[in-house]
Amino acid sequence: MAGKSFLIDTTKCTACRGCQIACKEWNKLPAGETKQTGTFQNPPDLNASTYRLVRFQEYPSEKNYMVWYFFTEACRHCMSPPCKTEADKYVKDCITVDKNGGVQFNEKTKELGANAEKVKAGCPYNIPRLNEATKALVKCHMCYMRVDAGLLPACVKSCPTGALNFGERDDILKLAQTRLAEAKKKFGDKAELINPDEVRAIFLVADTPAKYCEFATY
Amino acid sequence: MHVTRREFLKISGMASALGALAGLGFDVLPIKSYAAGLDTMTVKETTSICPYCAVGCGQIVQTDKATGKIINTEGDSDHPINEGSLCAKGASLYQLAVNPARWTQVLYRAPYSDKWEEKTWDWALDRIAVNVKKSRDAGFVIKNAKGQEVNRTEGIAHIGSAALDNEECWLLQAIMRSLGLVYIEHQARI
Repeated sequence: MAGKSFLIDTTKCTACRGCQIACKEWNKLPAGETKQTGTFQNPPDLNASTYRLVRFQEYPSEKNYMVWYFFTEACRHCMSPPCKTEADKYVKDCITVDKNGGVQFNEKTKELGANAEKVKAGCPYNIPRLNEATKALVKCHMCYMRVDAGLLPACVKSCPTGALNFGERDDILKLAQTRLAEAKKKFGDKAELINPDEVRAIFLVADTPAKYCEFATY
Repeated sequence: MHVTRREFLKISGMASALGALAGLGFDVLPIKSYAAGLDTMTVKETTSICPYCAVGCGQIVQTDKATGKIINTEGDSDHPINEGSLCAKGASLYQLAVNPARWTQVLYRAPYSDKWEEKTWDWALDRIAVNVKKSRDAGFVIKNAKGQEVNRTEGIAHIGSAALDNEECWLLQAIMRSLGLVYIEHQARI
């Protein structure tokens, strides 16, 4: 079965961070105390109570004085998740793939102990985080309860601009090609989809992926 | 039976997790529930309008039928303004109501005091009424410099809020005008 997928069209993102907060709100994750570091990116990184984070990068640009890239980052839900391969070596089925293709970390990740670091390192996108209090590995779970009930994931539901899209994988792949063609027309040939065949959270970027996020691709 | 939100989440979480396990058989899903607001048997849905800015996005507020407490808020897909979407502020609406940092008591700091005291609403409203009357009378102008009848008070100003709805605005306007205020402002113009 093809399952579900996301298309994250960064060219439509205004970095309102509605997705980031909707995720926090739905999962009832607490706020963390942060400091102003000179960027709107806040908190500075994903953490045990932030499964989705909007990353901000700015670069000088000859044409527009500066460009500002937004990258709403969460788990990519890989088609063949390397985190699962790694985790299965230590605690079988502490990471599973659900019927929609969502990669799910469950309570058994608490049994990973010191091996949790190896599972974290196994993720090419640097997504899993350790909940220091419960010792469980946590990350985006594709809102499986909502999707099961026929709802959109909280982040996608909140997106006002159409940057975040979710649906059947076949439909999303088609939409991705349409949006890619639009982006190439507007932003030039650098526009690309990041690893569309490997992941279920496909990013469309207008420039080199690494300019958006250190771990945008590998 | 009194059920707190935490207990409610626990109960519904166990039910959902069991249901998911029974349905899929092979899947080991997280035991913790993320499913607040999905069980229509226990949840009541009420439409509301986001209070934060003038866009006026529609929201659905889901409350526990037993306790009346809010367990989830999200954008209203049927609302013509936002069609289900929300910005960061709108998406955070839940914690406007359910928030351990929220004040539930009237706090009063006396002039020159360096600490807050807890007071009752009756005490606070009486005190506000007395002070409003005092300031209004002290700043009341019957005739201006040209001798024209103006009947206004220049001792009080009012700053409104984008979080007010139409009816609240009407009430405030009526109260302030009847007191004779002329300095009536709104944060969006400042």
